[in-house]
Amino acid sequence: MDEISEVKRQTDETLLGSDEHEAQKGKYMTFKSGNEYFGLKIQYVNEIIGFQAITAIPETEDYIKGLINLRGKIIPVIDVRLRFRQPAFEYNDRTCIIVINVKSTVVGLIVEKIAEVVEIREENILPPPSIGRADKAQNKYVYGIGKVGDSVKLLLDPDKLLNDEDLSALEQAGEMSNIEEVE
Amino acid sequence: MAEEFNTEGMLDIYLFENGQLLERLQEMVLDQKDADGFDEDSINEIFRTMHTIKGSSGIMMFDNITAIAHKLEDIFFYLRESHPDNVPHLQLVEHVLEVEDFISGEMEKIRNGDTVDGDPKDIIKDLDAFLDQIKNGAGAGAKQAPENVHEEPKQFYIAPVATEASRFYKVYVNFSPDTGMANIRAYKIVYAMKEIAEDLLYSPEDILSDESSAEVIMKEGFKILLQAQCTEEEIRNIIGIGYDIKKVDVYECSANEFLQGFNFGDDQGSQQVIDLESSVEEIEAKAEQKEGEPEKKPEKPQIAPGDFVIKSKEPGKQKKLAKDKPKGHKDAFISVNVSKMDQLMDLIGELVISESVVLQNPDLKVPGLNLTNFNKAAAQMAKISTDLQNVIMSMRMMPLTNLFQKMNRTVFDISRKLGKNIDFEQVGEHTEVDKNIIDNISDPLMHLVRNAVDHGVETKEERAQTTKSERAKITLSARTEAGKVWISVTDDGKGLDRNKILAKARKKGLLDDDKPDSAYSDKEVFQFITLPGFSTNEQVTEYSGRGVGMDVVVQNIQSIGGALEIDSVAGEGSTFTLKIPLTLAIIDGIVMETGTSSFVVETGVIKEFVSVKEDMMIHEPNGDEYIMIRGECYPVLRLGEWYGLKEYRKSVEEGMMLIFEVENKTICLFVDRLIGKQEIVVKPIPSYVKKVKGLSGCTQLGDGSIALIIDPVGLIE
Repeated sequence: MDEISEVKRQTDETLLGSDEHEAQKGKYMTFKSGNEYFGLKIQYVNEIIGFQAITAIPETEDYIKGLINLRGKIIPVIDVRLRFRQPAFEYNDRTCIIVINVKSTVVGLIVEKIAEVVEIREENILPPPSIGRADKAQNKYVYGIGKVGDSVKLLLDPDKLLNDEDLSALEQAGEMSNIEEVE
Repeated sequence: MAEEFNTEGMLDIYLFENGQLLERLQEMVLDQKDADGFDEDSINEIFRTMHTIKGSSGIMMFDNITAIAHKLEDIFFYLRESHPDNVPHLQLVEHVLEVEDFISGEMEKIRNGDTVDGDPKDIIKDLDAFLDQIKNGAGAGAKQAPENVHEEPKQFYIAPVATEASRFYKVYVNFSPDTGMANIRAYKIVYAMKEIAEDLLYSPEDILSDESSAEVIMKEGFKILLQAQCTEEEIRNIIGIGYDIKKVDVYECSANEFLQGFNFGDDQGSQQVIDLESSVEEIEAKAEQKEGEPEKKPEKPQIAPGDFVIKSKEPGKQKKLAKDKPKGHKDAFISVNVSKMDQLMDLIGELVISESVVLQNPDLKVPGLNLTNFNKAAAQMAKISTDLQNVIMSMRMMPLTNLFQKMNRTVFDISRKLGKNIDFEQVGEHTEVDKNIIDNISDPLMHLVRNAVDHGVETKEERAQTTKSERAKITLSARTEAGKVWISVTDDGKGLDRNKILAKARKKGLLDDDKPDSAYSDKEVFQFITLPGFSTNEQVTEYSGRGVGMDVVVQNIQSIGGALEIDSVAGEGSTFTLKIPLTLAIIDGIVMETGTSSFVVETGVIKEFVSVKEDMMIHEPNGDEYIMIRGECYPVLRLGEWYGLKEYRKSVEEGMMLIFEVENKTICLFVDRLIGKQEIVVKPIPSYVKKVKGLSGCTQLGDGSIALIIDPVGLIE
């Protein structure tokens, strides 16, 4: 758990400096999922919590693992590996939940392991290679590839991560409730 | 004249009081709409109401309201004085309602901070024409009414129980010689003083309506007797020193002096102080005496003793009003921002949860602990938090009266336009419901009522061909049953046409082609009309028939966890019943477990819990299961199977059967085990997760884990 708290401390420090928007710029929260390291812009990250009991919701997509109770707030959590159509993994004490807030939708991301907060400069971010199969499942979530020293981080677009195809389902739900307001 | 005077508080009171007056007016008018004419009490009441509105609007400088109120007042003045016997009553009712609508509309604008720009000219013209009509038609019998002179129903105050701390003051205010409208300025002082006054008297008395009082004030000064718990300094502050006030003298005096009234030229002899020590008779006698005065004084020449104005039974009523007034609005009502209420509600919800976290803490389960004192304290705390919950719930509960009143008005308006004679009956309008729910059912209910008037009830001609009475009847009733409120709209009209609906359904391809019409039950057939775009009305009317409607009603009702039930007998009428939960926030629930998941069901829908034996089960070849309990056969739903959960108990003998009864359907739900009964705070499932059938929300349990709330209606579908 020390590792987690260390990263947490780092994140908190960065988040605390949020009045300085500059301080967050170019900083990415990185985590490991499968064999790859992924990065998320730090301003989307609310906090990192240890793994906790999840209440499953029936009849939903498999990657939506269920609901957790975050200090009285009930938020859904999704399993990043399942989201990327990678095989499921066993949750252990390194498993963490990154709570992100994208356009005021608060969602927890279950990740195998938290790495660190890194700074990636604009010039070190490359567009994802478009050669090969463009429809490859995970490409749509990755908007860029960041180079940090010798390693490479896949930078995630959190909006796409949460939505895209789910979006249509959500929109339908939204329309349903709009109808109610008619007359 | 508003610049040195804070009108804000006054505006609120103006809106509040006039709103209430108008509401009462509407109720009264609708009450008597079917009579041949208004009775004397009502005429007086309407006259007084208009007069009060005119007066207060005048002060607030809403000229259009003043003008229109004045016009209606004129009409009722004429009615009151001349008793014309050929008044077209329905027209009169319409005129009154028209005026009421206009004033309500303007007040709404005021409330929203818009400019008050409604133009009353047309209505006033109509009213003038109407007045002419009844005047000219009145014939020789009715004597000419005197001009409507200004008169203010006198308000007098009965001193509330005088407290020890009360002090008595005489206040003299002198205005600068060049002050205009001294009477209005004096009234403002009086108005400001009412805030602090336990008892208040002033001279001259009729400052509002009698403009000559301005002169008296200028000459003699304005005199006030005040009983209040405040210091001289405070009184001076309240009066304030404006440019128009020359001098303010405040003297403290004894209670006796106070009771003696003004020791200066009390020429009218009309000031009286009534304190609670005097006997009731005395008070009434005084009240009566006072009551007669204001009416008689200005009109002595015209009114013969036999004329009614306010009869002797009135003082009692008036007295009640007077008693209500003195301490009045300030502590009786506070308007609170709804979002603050919601926040409080949320916090109390959290409190309930954390209470159960503390009281059911696993640390307490250690054997051998002596928890006597803890349990005592815990019980005390549980009691307080329950009380707290009840209070906040009751704060949000509102009677349906207003909503029903609105419907009454709708029925009246539409039935008049359609030329139908309809009696409207209200039952149980005092039933209390959560405010959120009232907001949500207003539109659906309006729709149902409109439908009943427009489609439900036949036209006069059609009715004449049946054995029914000429007047149709629509009943709006509310009652609580099984933790829900049932609101029904019943009409005695032609009822739903089963064949017509079936034919339409067949045309739209909603029916199974192989099934004969008779295979559908009435309930099933009637449910078709709640589908989008399904209207059997050939003609589109102003009020309904466009095919949007019932589906919206049903959606609205379902969104708050309610249901719509339709009953109808051809030729005898139909009943539409809304069944809605009393409240949305905190419910009593049974917590149970299946597999590793916890679920909650509202206690109200559970009929019983049964442990069953394998031999009570009936298995159908297609996988459906039924259970035979005491000779009744119920369908069985296994919760674990339904949601595809893992590791739930398969054998019925290991688990527990819950029998639900919802909407007259009974179903058995099989779960692993019961945990207990608990008050739960309903929270919505985050919108990121798409809606799951059969779940209506989630909640947090005592140990901090999350349970899903089962929606039995969804399960049955």
